[in-house]
Amino acid sequence: MAITRREWLAAVATGTALAISGCEIPRPFAASRVPERLEPPDEADAPAIRLLNRTAFGAPADEVAKVERIGREAWVALQLEARQDEPLDLTLRLRRLESLQYEGFNTSDFKEQHLLDELQQAALLRAVHSPNQLRERMVDFWSNHFSIYARKANTRMLKAADDHRVIRRHALGKFPDLLWASAQSPAMLLYLDNQANTKRAPNENYARELLELHALGVDGGYTQQDVMEVARCFTGWTVENRPPLTQLSQHDFDVRKLRARGRFRFDPDQHDDGAKQVLGHTIPAGQGEGDARQVVDILAKHPSCARFIARKLCRAFVGTADAPLVERVADRYTKTDGDIKAMLETLLLSDELLAGPPILKRPFDYVASALRCTYAETDGRAVGDHLRKMGQPLNEWPMPDGYPDGTSEWTGSLLARWNFAAALATDQIRGTKVAFDRLGKSMGGNVEWDRLVCGRPLGLSGNDPAELVALSLCSPEFQWR
Amino acid sequence: MAMNERFACKGYRAWTSRPDALARFEPTRRGVLAALGLGTVSWLGARSAFSQLVVAPARVEQPTLVVVFLRGGMDGLNVVVPYGDDDYHRLRPNLALRKAQVLDLDGTFGLHPKLAPLLPFYREGSMAIVHAVGSGDQTRSHFEAMAAMERGLFTDSDALASGWLARYLRASSGTSSSPLRAVAFGPVLPDSLRGATQATAIASLDDYRLTDGKGKLTRDAFAENLRRLYGKRQDEVSLAGLETLNVLDALHSLEPSRRQEGGPYPETAFGDAVRQCATLLKAEVGVEAACLDMGGWDTHVYQGSVEGWQAGLLDELARSLAAFVADLGPRMKRTTIVVMTEFGRRVKENEGLGTDHGRGSALFALGAGVQGGRLYVNWPGLGPGALEGPGDLRVTTDYRNVLWSAVSSSLGEPGLSETFPGLQPEPHPALVKA
Repeated sequence: MAITRREWLAAVATGTALAISGCEIPRPFAASRVPERLEPPDEADAPAIRLLNRTAFGAPADEVAKVERIGREAWVALQLEARQDEPLDLTLRLRRLESLQYEGFNTSDFKEQHLLDELQQAALLRAVHSPNQLRERMVDFWSNHFSIYARKANTRMLKAADDHRVIRRHALGKFPDLLWASAQSPAMLLYLDNQANTKRAPNENYARELLELHALGVDGGYTQQDVMEVARCFTGWTVENRPPLTQLSQHDFDVRKLRARGRFRFDPDQHDDGAKQVLGHTIPAGQGEGDARQVVDILAKHPSCARFIARKLCRAFVGTADAPLVERVADRYTKTDGDIKAMLETLLLSDELLAGPPILKRPFDYVASALRCTYAETDGRAVGDHLRKMGQPLNEWPMPDGYPDGTSEWTGSLLARWNFAAALATDQIRGTKVAFDRLGKSMGGNVEWDRLVCGRPLGLSGNDPAELVALSLCSPEFQWR
Repeated sequence: MAMNERFACKGYRAWTSRPDALARFEPTRRGVLAALGLGTVSWLGARSAFSQLVVAPARVEQPTLVVVFLRGGMDGLNVVVPYGDDDYHRLRPNLALRKAQVLDLDGTFGLHPKLAPLLPFYREGSMAIVHAVGSGDQTRSHFEAMAAMERGLFTDSDALASGWLARYLRASSGTSSSPLRAVAFGPVLPDSLRGATQATAIASLDDYRLTDGKGKLTRDAFAENLRRLYGKRQDEVSLAGLETLNVLDALHSLEPSRRQEGGPYPETAFGDAVRQCATLLKAEVGVEAACLDMGGWDTHVYQGSVEGWQAGLLDELARSLAAFVADLGPRMKRTTIVVMTEFGRRVKENEGLGTDHGRGSALFALGAGVQGGRLYVNWPGLGPGALEGPGDLRVTTDYRNVLWSAVSSSLGEPGLSETFPGLQPEPHPALVKA
């Protein structure tokens, strides 16, 4: 019954050709067999373009020139160090995002949409304008690894602190520190119902995702029993939500007694202080808050954790998770106590990075790279509406596994991408503007817009720069990284 | 758009209304037929852009399977309530519904009162209920359990990447080359359609159009250029691009109007998605499978009982489906709806007045081919020895047998084994006449 891939492609190609020619003969479109998976294009990118597409948001022409000038090792070193000065313009724009200047429940005066918008704006501004591109890529990576749905309960007020104190602080640090910080993140605890995790009735939600999604992977070797025991270890881990102590007289007033609502709180009254067994380790009775510390240590040192994180990084940067590279990256994890930079170094200098298959850009990648490749100025606000239409408004993936990273999940977003590209190139997005002058200048007289924007000729005809830029951003080539 | 509603789970539900998406977009049958070249002109002779949407006349009357996936794990025990089971009341002192509160089905089980809009369908025999149904997934992970179900497997396995609906479409492919054979209402395709071509995710019919940059681009020329760019190769994105362009042509031909039969749909993201689904089905553009997602069922805390969180969800679900059936009218004769979820929930309520991840849940089937008016259940009981794992309702019906039965009439034997590899099917009486 099965036809070969070649026959199938031929059938599709014929159908397509007929459709274009307007011929009325019915196409054998549906009669053909669909292969289990369609391959991405295998045309190789130039090494500098590939490196930029993987470590940064897109490969603008001037950055390609820079990488070719200083070389791969130097570029990777610069990005791993992540100490390049933030442009003043970016600093000022970020400072204008008012809700981000407050923390915790102090942001309760802001509307939910406003808080979400400003968080997304900040992420877009940094992804587009920060020279420390790898850091921003890792922030995106960890924001999805430790995904929080910011429309649940009060997490909207707490996600900014999570972004600042958990994700950004440890994006290029040590994974065990990141895991520990996330375990104390009020936004995470609230998102995964840990405020309801009490000694009388443990709630497994956070414990399960900690094991499955944050640390070990679903096949990481834990059992339902482990989930329940980890939940017991995290009983009493909650968010400060008691009313502030405002009734004190002036004499008794002590600023240290003011309760910082929205901060992490360990509630010993709700903690199950009995002994527990987690992954073969005994957690002795009476450790209180120390139980969770021990759990995180056990998890971070577990061989499944090294492999799980290595595999996920390989998928994100190389596009596959083939055993030899995963082993090398996992080995770096083990030898450096989970140093993220060390793992990235192995990945980014590997041959596999250049040889791996193309990866479909997620909408956030797509938007950020389109803005970078057209040297666009943006305030990050109205472009967010386009991100929503493409299906990736930041911090709004309700499931704790983060936005999907496959291909077929996102092929339905093409129309929204085309509409974004057309709006961008024709100056229809408020607060965002393509720098046609700067873009054109680098080419002298005869500007090849497709090569400028997309890094390769696309065989476009016409002479309207707006249309040529729009089509370059719309092209299938620009959807891959 | 509205990704949040799509999977909204983890015990919280977003209430973002989508007034922008509520604008009506209703085709008239005549407009569609004319557009398709089926009205007065022989479709073979029509020289128009719509000829690219080659819907063969014979396929216009194809049946449609509508799959509603309740994301997060619906607590079947509080939906199809075993009010006659003492263990149920013992384990759920706060959450249980009493006899007087439910819509009695058979003296032992009763429907949650918020499902009242669906009761007439049950009574008239077009709706069936299956209980203690589920997969073999023991991880109690949303992702594993969903992955298993969307791939049509008993337990998840990497061996099979494609979705069961994608395989169904492939196996049943006849003469249709409609780019809209499968439609998911949301921003991304669900895993059940993974590997399907001729499948499209539509967040909103109104937004589904190509812009012209406020007149700065010529839309036809722009589309033509896109067709050229996407026609160069056969990778996954290029093919998706061509299909997107075909869908645009197909939808462009629908005549907008405000016509809608029956009562109003709830003004929620789900209600709106259901309404758009009806629009497309009525337009007869060749939809054979439609996927609708409803999130918010992961009720770890404050689940509620007669009223409350889950009750609100049930209300929205029931009113949406009732509006859908009324809206479709005679088109329901060729439409089968299956409402499913990845797992049920722990029998014993938790301290947060919610329930944790469990195993067996309930499933609804409604419409064409359904042997309704019956609750199909092999009740395993809720007593101490009867529960599974940490205290969950045992799965006594393999969900695959229900889905197998739902598609068995339109597929031959080879197609069925391709759609559900490894299944030794036991035709389920809810969908297969004995």
